[in-house]
Amino acid sequence: MLQFKLVLLGDSSVGKSSIVHRFVKDSFDELRESTIGAAFLSQTIKIKAEEQEEDVVIKFEIWDTAGQERYKSLAPMYYRNANAALVVYDLTQKDSLVKARSWVEELKNKVGDEDLVIFLVGNKLDLCEGEEDLRAVDTSEAKAYAEEQNLLFTEVSAKTGQGVKEVFRSIGEKLYASKKDEILAKKNRELGNRVNNSVDINAQRPSTNDTTTCCS
Amino acid sequence: MVATDFTSPLMRTTTGGNHHGFTSKFSIRSPSVPNLRQQLYSETNNYSAPAIEGIPNNKDAINDQRSNSEEYGGSLSVIDLYDDNDSESPQKKSTRSITGLEDFQKDVGELNSMSADHSNDDLRRSNSITIDINENEHTDRYGFKKQSTFISEADYNSWWNDYSKYCVRRKFKWKLLLEKGGLPVDNDSPTRFPSKSEKLKRYVRKGIPAEWRGDAWWYFARGQEKLNRHKGVYDTLLVKVNKITEQKDHDNVFTDLEIIERDLNRTFPDNIHFQKQSPQDEEPELIKSLRRVLVAFSLYNPKIGYCQSMNFIAGLLLLFLDEERAFWMLVIITSRYLPGVHDVNLEGVNIDQGVLMLCVKEYLPEIWSYIAPITNKKGASNNRRTTSSTSRKNRSLIIKNEFLYRLPPITLCTASWFMSCFIGILPIETTLRVWDCMFYEESHFLFKISLSILKLSENDLLRHKKHRHGGGILSYGIKGGNSSNTSLGSSNDAASEDGDMEIFQIIQTFPKKLLNPNDIFDKVIFKRKYSFNRLDQDEVDRCRKYVSSQRTKYKHYIDTVEKQEIRGIDKSTNHIGEKENILTSEMDEDTINEALSSEVYGFKRNLTGVHWNNSLKAKVRQMKKKIDREV
Repeated sequence: MLQFKLVLLGDSSVGKSSIVHRFVKDSFDELRESTIGAAFLSQTIKIKAEEQEEDVVIKFEIWDTAGQERYKSLAPMYYRNANAALVVYDLTQKDSLVKARSWVEELKNKVGDEDLVIFLVGNKLDLCEGEEDLRAVDTSEAKAYAEEQNLLFTEVSAKTGQGVKEVFRSIGEKLYASKKDEILAKKNRELGNRVNNSVDINAQRPSTNDTTTCCS
Repeated sequence: MVATDFTSPLMRTTTGGNHHGFTSKFSIRSPSVPNLRQQLYSETNNYSAPAIEGIPNNKDAINDQRSNSEEYGGSLSVIDLYDDNDSESPQKKSTRSITGLEDFQKDVGELNSMSADHSNDDLRRSNSITIDINENEHTDRYGFKKQSTFISEADYNSWWNDYSKYCVRRKFKWKLLLEKGGLPVDNDSPTRFPSKSEKLKRYVRKGIPAEWRGDAWWYFARGQEKLNRHKGVYDTLLVKVNKITEQKDHDNVFTDLEIIERDLNRTFPDNIHFQKQSPQDEEPELIKSLRRVLVAFSLYNPKIGYCQSMNFIAGLLLLFLDEERAFWMLVIITSRYLPGVHDVNLEGVNIDQGVLMLCVKEYLPEIWSYIAPITNKKGASNNRRTTSSTSRKNRSLIIKNEFLYRLPPITLCTASWFMSCFIGILPIETTLRVWDCMFYEESHFLFKISLSILKLSENDLLRHKKHRHGGGILSYGIKGGNSSNTSLGSSNDAASEDGDMEIFQIIQTFPKKLLNPNDIFDKVIFKRKYSFNRLDQDEVDRCRKYVSSQRTKYKHYIDTVEKQEIRGIDKSTNHIGEKENILTSEMDEDTINEALSSEVYGFKRNLTGVHWNNSLKAKVRQMKKKIDREV
């Protein structure tokens, strides 16, 4: 099993918790309590890997954070050592994309990891498909930004579930692809070490240095 | 049922009674246990502008709703039992054998029909009104949904069957206590309580009667003093609030307002008092009150403004107190009990987490050993700035206390305990018991309860201990370092985060299962053997100061180091970086010395011996007796 840390960031009430709940519990509540501090959830998925016969099992350790601006000072505690970040905005709120951009910038500046997968997600797609189109952010605009910044991008609806699973699956696949060599190398080593029945966790880590300052 | 004259004793004492019509303006009564019968909001309510209008007089409608639901055993409110004036009855009741919920409901019905005249009136009137009984079956006496992710409705009901009897017994004792002290219990809403004593502390810890809570909190938190010093302030604030909220275009001048708006419907969406009955309905009165309280607060205290989590604190207050008093209690909570916690920079959260970690280290060393950051010795010794033996010593101290600055991962979970004052963390009845004690004993109780929760979860935590040092799961918790690393020997190696995942899971879900408040109180809070029960307010105040100053020093230190790093990097391109680094580290000595000047925090321990001796003496005595008897 592979374990990855994933953090959700974005403006208040864009639907971060709703996305996580759709993914973890496959449920949706119209009114969800505002998240205080952060909530921790986990979910396991299976992905197909080319070279391997068996499916690869991936466990996501998910940190769902509070969206209010002032919680930003706590955010480094949550995104440090993260492997992936979901930066969420609300398709019906122009401002929320501005906030999303600033999160992307912060992640790029503070997380010194080139392998960090950032996924830009526009939520509330269901509201943009009715007769009264509430859309305030064009797909093309967000897409262009994501390409420019080299982010993954999609639009989803936590309410209907549209696109949510796919987000996590593609993160899983991307992380697996970038860690594949390490994983295989480690597996071989593990086979060699079986006598000790122990895994040298530190061995595969590039450095003991911590790249982010924690809470400031 | 009692309760009719609702502008009287309570409101008079609340607002001083006789000045400029204050009384009527803020008599927005909350729908909590005590206030339901003094109710004023209902479907006919047209109360909207608080600074202008008075109280709608529709309490009868609500009374009807209540008694109707009681008649059918809807929400099993213990108040009905209390309303029986026969002081014997609660005891009688508790000795009677009650086999199940149905019997209990029957009892409620019996007691209802025995109770005072107007109650019978209510019952009679109730027949004319139909409400959704099924809906009430699923909610508790405050309107919260009984069921949660971790507690089924059946579990709730079977627990409540016992706990409601406990509440009746406790209320009976409270009544005796007040009567003995010559304090009136008129209309089942006492507004004065005995002066502080060990006995009263025990009473509070065993729970304040739900119907008295609002008044008792107000009394113990000295709310009236605060209000008296600020008479008319809320009034003035509301005028401003009205102006602001009526202005449709805020031009982003007041961003707090926007965030408040977004949170209003996300405050207790599971509580019937915060819900619209149907989508077409106007928003509930409590939501309107909540908006006014939060917006008024953000105007009153711009240093805090609005912080998510205050919506829950204010919301809970509104269930027990009228709007104006809820406002002042919010002021008191955010300044006295949780200082700085809701400030714009949230530094108070970090300070309190630092204090909590110090306490865990001191009082729960077992737990500390596996939530503490794993000190990375390699990182420390590799540090190129350790140039002299003194600075090495300094560094070791800094690293020792580094967890106050670089908080352990567990605080990712425990931070919200303080921010929302345990709302949503513990089940509601348990939360209320914590609030009882917080208002009586001040903020150190929040640390006590946190330590109690951790203590209770110890077994669960220990079970996962083995995972902590790598259990075969491949985790990619850590990332490659970059050159701007400023870590003081990275104390939080990713290896420690493998098992942390289990720890997070436990710490987050465990408190949510603590349905029975007495599980915490009887098993931990009332047990002398737990040394953290000696924690007092002085200690916590001292601790907060210490952590605060440590954090400031570290921040200063790290800023200095960062500046040096930048210079070092600049120079390193010319291959003199190393040299430069050594040079600057000498200059840095002062900063390090400053950090050294504060000793490691020392907890008061003088009482330990006394307590220990006492319990030992008692044990020796017991053993002697036993031996005597056997002989």
